[in-house]
Amino acid sequence: MKRIILSLTILLASASLSMAQSYVDVAYSIGFGTGDMGDFIKKASFRGISFDYRYAVQPNIAIGFNLGWNTFYEEKASDSYQFENATLTGKQYRYSNMVPILATGTYLFSPDEAFCPYAALGIGTMYARRNTDMNLYTIEQEAWPFVLQPEVGVRYQAADKVGVLLNVKYLNGFKAGDFDDTQSYLTLNLGFTFH
Amino acid sequence: MKHFLTASLVLLLAGCYPQGPDYAEDTDVVYTTYNEKYKFADKETYAMPDKIVTDVKIKNGDTTFVYMDDKYASKIFDKIEENMTALGYDKVSLDADPDLMLLPAALSTTNYFYSYWYDWWYGYWGWGWYYPPYYTVSSYTTGSFVMVLTDPHEADTSPINRSATAWVSAANGLASYSNDINRVIKSIDQSFKQSPYLTTK
Repeated sequence: MKRIILSLTILLASASLSMAQSYVDVAYSIGFGTGDMGDFIKKASFRGISFDYRYAVQPNIAIGFNLGWNTFYEEKASDSYQFENATLTGKQYRYSNMVPILATGTYLFSPDEAFCPYAALGIGTMYARRNTDMNLYTIEQEAWPFVLQPEVGVRYQAADKVGVLLNVKYLNGFKAGDFDDTQSYLTLNLGFTFH
Repeated sequence: MKHFLTASLVLLLAGCYPQGPDYAEDTDVVYTTYNEKYKFADKETYAMPDKIVTDVKIKNGDTTFVYMDDKYASKIFDKIEENMTALGYDKVSLDADPDLMLLPAALSTTNYFYSYWYDWWYGYWGWGWYYPPYYTVSSYTTGSFVMVLTDPHEADTSPINRSATAWVSAANGLASYSNDINRVIKSIDQSFKQSPYLTTK
């Protein structure tokens, strides 16, 4: 997975240098679980990364794709869990890994100016995996849900081909696979944008 | 810039995966389950053996039991009795026709991993394998402590002449060979704590 993401970044970064009217965003991503995911892991995730490639088909409209990876983790204190007439007590180590793979449409409000707010919508899927470790065992739940991801952000062109970027994405992965509920989280992304 | 980004990306991803348990105690779990139809409140007395089986050896068809050292076993029995007394059950001898039997057992299991790989060389004559191959053997040991509450009178009415289990507690964790007895003691308290139906009231 690391290798795939890495090669894609390099590929995208080199592609962006040869093409005008396209943007490559690389951002550090902080995640906050919401809904069922937030119940599972309450702690914010400081392990995340997000890549975006956006190709401008019109000066203010771009299409592209988004790849990301957010790892959520929480060590729970020893607690008791009930299952019908059984009770299990122990520490739980909870992990949630989310890898969205989305097609995106972006609207740039002021493409010709250095300071450019934008809004985007991503549609696609993600690899969602949840692990609950207890004792020497793990319960693993996986899914490839349908994902909708609205996004708002600002980009600031700091130099000729480089800018900085700040955005908020709300990823909504609909109920699928081993999950009985929607898996959703909010990310705050801070990074660089290359033109 | 690209190199810097690539380098920081590799570092970020490599340092990415969060930690799991730090100590053997972190793997401790206590599991309890019970027969929902069984009326624990109607019972008053119980009996317990005075030794804890830790292993069973079968040699040439002869079965022998291996018992836990008394200095550890006595701590365990004291703890169980303390909990049962607090719940209102009286300990009696086996001859006194107890309502319940409490049977403790301790087990340890060691799992071995054997892994090996061959390294290869390439020279003028082509390629081949180095001999001997590298290999590693590693293992982990888990300890379990089990308590069973059973009603000896049920055996009389059972077609197979056995008593059904009214309550089971199984505690398990990675063995560390130090302070493990304290972890067992802790698991006994936890077993009773998470079983509120075990009471004479």
